[in-house]
Amino acid sequence: MSEVIVVTSGKGGVGKTTTTANIGTGLAKLGKKVVMIDTDTGLRNLDVVLGLENRIVYNLVDVVEGNCRIKQAMITDKRCPKLYLLPTAQTRDKSAITPEQMIKVIDEIKADPEEFDYIILDCPAGIEQGFQNAIAGADRALVVTTPEVSAIRDADRIVGLLDAHGLKDHEDLIVNRIRMDMVNRNEMMSIDDVNDILQLNVIGAVPDDESIVVATNKGQPCVGDDSMAGQAYMNICRRIIGEEVPFLDLNAKNGFFKKLSSLFGKK
Amino acid sequence: MDNAVIIKSSKHGITLILDESMEFEELKSLIKNKFEQSSKFFGEADMVLAFEGKKLDVSMQQEVLEIIGSVTSINVTCIVDEDEELDAKFNAAKDKKNASAASELFYKGTLRAGQILETESSVIVLGDVNPGGKIVSKGNVVVLGNLRGTVYAGAGGNENAFVVALDMNPMQIKIADTIARSSDSTFVKVMKKKKDKDIQPKIAYIYDANIYVEDLSQEVLEDIKID
Repeated sequence: MSEVIVVTSGKGGVGKTTTTANIGTGLAKLGKKVVMIDTDTGLRNLDVVLGLENRIVYNLVDVVEGNCRIKQAMITDKRCPKLYLLPTAQTRDKSAITPEQMIKVIDEIKADPEEFDYIILDCPAGIEQGFQNAIAGADRALVVTTPEVSAIRDADRIVGLLDAHGLKDHEDLIVNRIRMDMVNRNEMMSIDDVNDILQLNVIGAVPDDESIVVATNKGQPCVGDDSMAGQAYMNICRRIIGEEVPFLDLNAKNGFFKKLSSLFGKK
Repeated sequence: MDNAVIIKSSKHGITLILDESMEFEELKSLIKNKFEQSSKFFGEADMVLAFEGKKLDVSMQQEVLEIIGSVTSINVTCIVDEDEELDAKFNAAKDKKNASAASELFYKGTLRAGQILETESSVIVLGDVNPGGKIVSKGNVVVLGNLRGTVYAGAGGNENAFVVALDMNPMQIKIADTIARSSDSTFVKVMKKKKDKDIQPKIAYIYDANIYVEDLSQEVLEDIKID
């Protein structure tokens, strides 16, 4: 049975799409069959971050409107054959899809004989129709926030809405773009400070890392490489599939990290 | 003649036993007399009314209600027939009402940004009130957790209402018509405070048209008035 995970945050620009791309790719690298659905109709980005923009022919709105079959709209990733992307339309808006239609699409993917392990939904910012569409069929939510009061406030609002939608206790928190040097100087909230308000299960913390910018511009998720962010994302993927993975020491110097990652690499 | 109308108290209210052989017009005046005599006894009680003996149709029952209303301050909440089945149903309904009244007093869970808890009564929150969350209560508010949001106690204008929190860091507190907001502390200060770990339960109340926040002590509690 496929598990449907929505990646959401409330606030824009905290890294939902980057997180979706990395987690989707990471799960596929761990041998899972994954489809990522971009639900940000009108402002789709997931295809760009994955470097798959040039392959789009059909999209989610075409599927919903019956212009094509789901399989036709799904794009196979250029690196992982077990990873698929279902992009959405760029020239339409959120009202082109209803929550009921979204559930129907998800049910159809779930019923696929080749069975997907994970369906990952990239949620748009905001709490309007796009958000409602994205959470409609979800079994589990990954709430992404940065250690900023505005992002935390919006995440808190989102958690309230997810609770009301019946996802209470199926929400995990990802604290993105954390800078330990600033935390140590008391200039940024720590993971504990963030979770003091949100009180969710912290499934991972991703450090602010230049390699993310590089990877995004290249259209190549950094999950699994030896950058700090790449390792943090891979750890999140392992936790999603149920492995117990100790938290990275984000304070560690890069030299130590190189050693650590080479240890992991040998396995 | 005296026994043509009998008022009997029952489990949930009063039962009116009416002589079956008498005309309704006659009974009406007798009912009026009976209730006039006992109006002081009943006071302003909420009661359930039941009829026994003479069968009354709905319009007759309505007339009796009007008589009771005109001579006493009894608030008849509903009319029941004295039969077992309905009795059971009524009990079930009453229990349900009590249960919901109880859950109104306690709220379990964290009030997150954008969520508002409104109650007619005082309320105890078992959890935090996050920034952007809000409680509006006509009575007192007790937060068994961290109060970081907005609270409005004594919303009906009760100036004796108070707010208690285990960890008091509210955005705003409003009691009756007086409003207070948090100091413009920076985020770094807030973090430092938390690291101090000397968190004291605090109480907010109105004194001399200002809202005061103090450590919860025996002396303060003695000054609290509960209406």
